[in-house]
Amino acid sequence: MKRLVGASALALVLMAASAKAETINILVEGGGEMLQKAVAEKFTAETGIEVNFTVVPYQGVFDKFSAEIASGSSAFDVITIDVVWNAKFASHVEDISSLFTDAIRADLPPALLADAKVGDKVIGMPAWANAEIVFYRKDLFDKPEEKEAFQAKYGYPLAPPKTWQQWREIAKFFTRDTDGDGKIDFWGTDTIGTFSEEWMAHVLQAGSPGVILDKDGQVIIDNDAHQKALEFYIASHCVDHSVPENVNEIGWGEAQNLFYQGKTAMTKFWAHAYKMTPADSKVSGKVGVVPMLAGDAGIAAIPGPWYNVVPSTSQHKDAAKKFIAFAIANNALGIEAPLGLAATNSAYRSYSGKSGYEHFAPLLETLSAPATQGRPINEKYQEIVDEAVLPAVQEALTCKADVAEVLKEAKETIEDILN
Amino acid sequence: MHKARHLNVSGILINGAALVLVLSYALPYMYLLMTSIKPAADVQQIPPSFFPAVLSFENFREVLRSSTLPKAFVNSLTVAVLTTALSLAVAVPAAYVATQYRRRITTLFLLFALVTRMVPSVSLGVPLFQLLKSLGLLDTVPGLVLAHTSAAVPLALLLMSAFFEGMPRELEEAARMDGCTRFQAFRKIVLPVMTGGIAVTALFTFITSWNEFLYALLLTSEATKTAPIVIAEYNSVYGLAWGAMTAAAVLYSLPVIVVTLALQKQIVGGLTFGAVKG
Repeated sequence: MKRLVGASALALVLMAASAKAETINILVEGGGEMLQKAVAEKFTAETGIEVNFTVVPYQGVFDKFSAEIASGSSAFDVITIDVVWNAKFASHVEDISSLFTDAIRADLPPALLADAKVGDKVIGMPAWANAEIVFYRKDLFDKPEEKEAFQAKYGYPLAPPKTWQQWREIAKFFTRDTDGDGKIDFWGTDTIGTFSEEWMAHVLQAGSPGVILDKDGQVIIDNDAHQKALEFYIASHCVDHSVPENVNEIGWGEAQNLFYQGKTAMTKFWAHAYKMTPADSKVSGKVGVVPMLAGDAGIAAIPGPWYNVVPSTSQHKDAAKKFIAFAIANNALGIEAPLGLAATNSAYRSYSGKSGYEHFAPLLETLSAPATQGRPINEKYQEIVDEAVLPAVQEALTCKADVAEVLKEAKETIEDILN
Repeated sequence: MHKARHLNVSGILINGAALVLVLSYALPYMYLLMTSIKPAADVQQIPPSFFPAVLSFENFREVLRSSTLPKAFVNSLTVAVLTTALSLAVAVPAAYVATQYRRRITTLFLLFALVTRMVPSVSLGVPLFQLLKSLGLLDTVPGLVLAHTSAAVPLALLLMSAFFEGMPRELEEAARMDGCTRFQAFRKIVLPVMTGGIAVTALFTFITSWNEFLYALLLTSEATKTAPIVIAEYNSVYGLAWGAMTAAAVLYSLPVIVVTLALQKQIVGGLTFGAVKG
């Protein structure tokens, strides 16, 4: 009897010890913790496995993961990484293709599935995804006098833009001097000169088989679609003058603020911002959203997904994979977080018709569009962007350069980087 | 009369130049301060405005409501105070010996301290990570204090050496003649004379640790995360919360400003120490 009691006590102690050991550590960027917190709580409640988050600044995820790789051991079992790092970390993470069941594959936009794969290895599971959609001022678009004036000028009804031509014409229409001092103080839209992803979306809309590189890794930045997209991208600034002039100082933050301050009628912006319009903003309650623009190839955008990966050095790989499977199955739980993003079609659809989530339908339509695809999965992606792509866009935005020539030079620079 | 007018003009010029200099230093901080009291929608106005159109303390309220920042402030303070104490404990006697008992080896020692200042901290991040991991000191206060001390000691050593160089050797000799041991002379005579220098060194060491980012990022997780990391988290992939970030930065700069003001006398004394030697 004594032996039995002793053995039972020992078993209990061992069970408690093993239960205590079942803790997984997740390295994540600030906003990402909030998106996964509810999932983690439910996961712990259902499995008993504790989840610890280590929250770091955006670049900190890259730096910390890199330090862990260099040290040969890891304190983390799951790391949530930006898609632009997928290629860089591919050889240091587990293949998790077994987690991609048919049901999950069917529930994810094709572009997110494609970005999960580096070579033949499935390196991560989407945790959430974002894409640029079109934001517009509902109050202006609904004004009868604006509708009448637009119809008279362009011969078709004023409505949120769907095509490149509509975008340019509506932007021109709304650009005006509102206080009569002879200076333009309200613009149709903005042009971002410090990031190149928006132009990349137009490249896909124009029908390019890929952005910058094709699927075989060949540099295609000088093809017709890239050229056509760049001509369209700079037109609002160089031809129509329907954007603030200081384009090379405008980034996403500035574009967002111009819109919030009521200085632009439309903007292309990441969908999450719809839910985050400040209450004291001049446009609060007046914002409408539609899918990203369509070109010859239809609607297209560059998605901004984040992936949950399991470092090869993790000490709790099974628990980590269990968490990742659980997170994608309960993907909608992150939607109540401030960023309000998810990855699966079903998660977004579960909020359809809900007030305050009007951006989900255009976001899902954009993410699932056949022409939507990710940035090149290449270890040197950031270097390519910094050294060749962004300088090319900025040079084109001077309005003095020949677009074809600019892209040809960018091609040479990229080939130098890759070789 | 002529001389008085001449002095007045040169005084105005000197004061004017000093004012320009102070403004050029203070302007970024003033802009930070002004941004922190703007409403969220006005923070990134185009064209930018220096003064807020509407005064708002919402950014400060948001920052103070945060669950991580107060804890990170405490961590920063603990680490900076311990780093300062440890660095001074090592650097003050070392600098004294290196300057007052000059040998070839002490010169090499100081040269080596200078060389370590030239090594980019980013190259030491991974080795430190491995070292602390093997010692089980990752994400602990002692671990981060040791890492910060490794960066702060060479600086403290060089600063203190410069101060000791300006101190007359006769001070210790007189104390020894009066019956003090070498250690007593150091503790009772030299250290009190060096208060200004030690205050300056302490301040610079404190600031080095207080603002350090890279080691804190690599060597801490949640338990000992310091404020610079939490402040940087306001720059997320989906936007930069300028308002909250500037409010946190203003709050974070206050202790350093307070310490600097409190030690102003010693700092000025320390900075001019030895300037009129001979």
